[in-house]
Amino acid sequence: MDFDFTDDQVSLRDAVAKWVDKGFDFSRRHALAKAGGQTRAVYTELAELGLTGLAVPEAHGGLGFGAIEAMVVMEELGRGLVNAPYAAAALVVPALLSAAPAAVQAAWLPKIASAEVLVVPALQERAARYRLNHVTTTATQGATGGAAGWTLRGQKIVVPAADEADAFIVPARIDGPVDSTAHIGLFLVEKGAAGTQVSGYPTQDGARAGELTLDGAAATLITDDGFALLAQAVDVGIAAACAEGVGAMDRMVAITVDYMNTRKQFGTTLATFQALRHRIADVKMAQELGRSMSYFASLKLGEPAAQRRRALSQAKVQLGQSMRYVGQQCTQIHGGIGVTDEYVSSHYFKRLTMLEMAYGDTLHHLGEVSDRMQDTAGVFA
Amino acid sequence: MDLQFTPEELAFRSEIRQWVAGNLPKDISHKVLNALRLSRDDMQRWHKFLGAKGWLGYHWPTQFGGPGWTAVQKHLFEEECALAGAPRIMPFGPVMVAPVIMAFGTPEQHQRFLPGIASGEVWWSQGYSEPGAGSDLASLKTRAVRTITPAGNQFIVNGQKTWTTMGQYGEWIFCLVRTGTEGKPQAGISFLLIDMKSPGITVRPIITMDGEHEVNEVFFDNVLVPADNLIGEENKGWTYAKFLLSHERTGIADVNRSKRELERVKRIAKAEGVYDDPRFRDQVALLEVDIVALEMMVLRVLSAEKSGRQSLDVAGLLKIRGSEIQQRFSELMMLAAGPATLPYQHEAMEAGWQGDFAGAAVCAPLAGTYFNMRKTTIYGGSNEVQRNIVSQTVLGA
Repeated sequence: MDFDFTDDQVSLRDAVAKWVDKGFDFSRRHALAKAGGQTRAVYTELAELGLTGLAVPEAHGGLGFGAIEAMVVMEELGRGLVNAPYAAAALVVPALLSAAPAAVQAAWLPKIASAEVLVVPALQERAARYRLNHVTTTATQGATGGAAGWTLRGQKIVVPAADEADAFIVPARIDGPVDSTAHIGLFLVEKGAAGTQVSGYPTQDGARAGELTLDGAAATLITDDGFALLAQAVDVGIAAACAEGVGAMDRMVAITVDYMNTRKQFGTTLATFQALRHRIADVKMAQELGRSMSYFASLKLGEPAAQRRRALSQAKVQLGQSMRYVGQQCTQIHGGIGVTDEYVSSHYFKRLTMLEMAYGDTLHHLGEVSDRMQDTAGVFA
Repeated sequence: MDLQFTPEELAFRSEIRQWVAGNLPKDISHKVLNALRLSRDDMQRWHKFLGAKGWLGYHWPTQFGGPGWTAVQKHLFEEECALAGAPRIMPFGPVMVAPVIMAFGTPEQHQRFLPGIASGEVWWSQGYSEPGAGSDLASLKTRAVRTITPAGNQFIVNGQKTWTTMGQYGEWIFCLVRTGTEGKPQAGISFLLIDMKSPGITVRPIITMDGEHEVNEVFFDNVLVPADNLIGEENKGWTYAKFLLSHERTGIADVNRSKRELERVKRIAKAEGVYDDPRFRDQVALLEVDIVALEMMVLRVLSAEKSGRQSLDVAGLLKIRGSEIQQRFSELMMLAAGPATLPYQHEAMEAGWQGDFAGAAVCAPLAGTYFNMRKTTIYGGSNEVQRNIVSQTVLGA
């Protein structure tokens, strides 16, 4: 049992932090958001740091790093409030492609690692909320493009960086009722494919997403029994969202502490008022419980499915609560300046709010924990 | 970074597990697992078993006869004992006063006091709080005046201590007493060991709202205490008391006990038919998440101690969260059984009670435990005082 980082992990953290300090200050983020939230250029810069290949196996031109390295990077991107579809494209997509046929992997993974292409997961459907088994998009084989070809019909919503992406990983139902976990296929759809339509829009936190409409779109099969893999990849996304949240909370709390120590009212600094001191103590609690459970999430990613699934939902419940509490209270402690667009803390608040909803919100995952409850519980249960 | 115990740690755990299984009397674990009343004999029997094995002072370094365990080993020992239903080790002797005696006592005091603590023979109590000194402990007024008598150099002690847990069984009590009035309140405090059989000491019960006798008032009326019983230097007692508070880093979270009690919440919820009610079950799930998060925080502290590469100043957070969780599990147990917890039967808290239960047997202690647990956010430095301490760390002032 060891919660220290290796020297290599510390170096990785330092490298990302250094890039954030030099290359991604708040004014750049603000300008990107104002311009519509396009961040492909940022993603390319992350590629130049080697980060986009982090989770891609070495055999396909990546670094083949593990969950802790991913966590370290996500913490720093969160701290810097970096706008880029990194978790989705560089962590979740390689997980989704891990079961793809060798030829598909060989064709796509090297280009993903180098960020020559941007491939994003298109997982969510209207009315499914966060249920991964609720798939109404359908996949049929042989309808067009020959006997072996697959075509998809349906719509996916809030696809990250949809109108900047080159391709999408799409769950679609091959057979069975709409909520069945069986017969959910995973497919790769290229943006230019006939029958594919993308409408993009900015998101609340100044990034970008879009709706993906598939109307007989030609697709490449990754797997015809993809539910378990989908759940696993979403757990990778959960761990990433947890770590990003930790970094974002750390920075938002630091900003708030600075503000408490400098802002004066009634002739003295905010830090002298006990009501606010107790508030910041509670914020610290939320922050440290969140960090603890973010570690837990990343450390449990390699466990067998049942334990992994339970642990990742437990982590997301904690992070969801922590991120909401820290975001709301740090905004409150700031007073009026905290609700303005020009001041940095409101941007952390919006990002933390979105992260709570990433890969399932608190109530959804509480339900997952509840459904998976055993007689015993604990870190090693 | 990893979440595995080493093979040595796992072997250690199974050694502890086997020993506890073979030595913890079933009648005692039955009471603990069902929240029935423990007698002095129950607690001391377990203490003496541990003492004979050399594990009552499980925090102790080898030079004082302790096992010299690592932070992780201590944690595993606590966990195995808690999950098996062992009574909590009364901390006053082995956990609280012994380290102070070791660090600041004379070799004579080591020889005189430590063996009785290590064996579990001598029952120690804590004399800190006073009616006028709760969270503001340094304002304590119990006076100790040095005097020369025919019997030698002595202190005459006058005053009152309160909230003395299990003081009705106490044979010795370690006290913070006022020996000076100069300077800051903290400056004139001394650390004194007092034989509770001394003439002039009166112990009076305080019955808490659960109807139980757990805490006491202790009165000192011209009590003569040999000056040999002073620990360290006169007027330096506050330093020793702070050392005592800082000594225990993770135990205060009591997370192992909360894990055991969470299992009990589930058993009760099943028995009462609410385990499958999603509204109730989600509350249990939330508590489960709280407990896992607390356990992770405890493990982070243990890891930091082990490697020495990080400093992790979260003792205040562990106390706050641990105590909130204890209140929460007691609340959920009571809510699970609902009206069946309302009958009050003092005698039904005794193991083997043969009378009729007004409610169900399993429900008899639940409301009492809920009432009792209100203490956890008050004692050991109230949670509001803990928040003051945490805020100092966060704000840097």
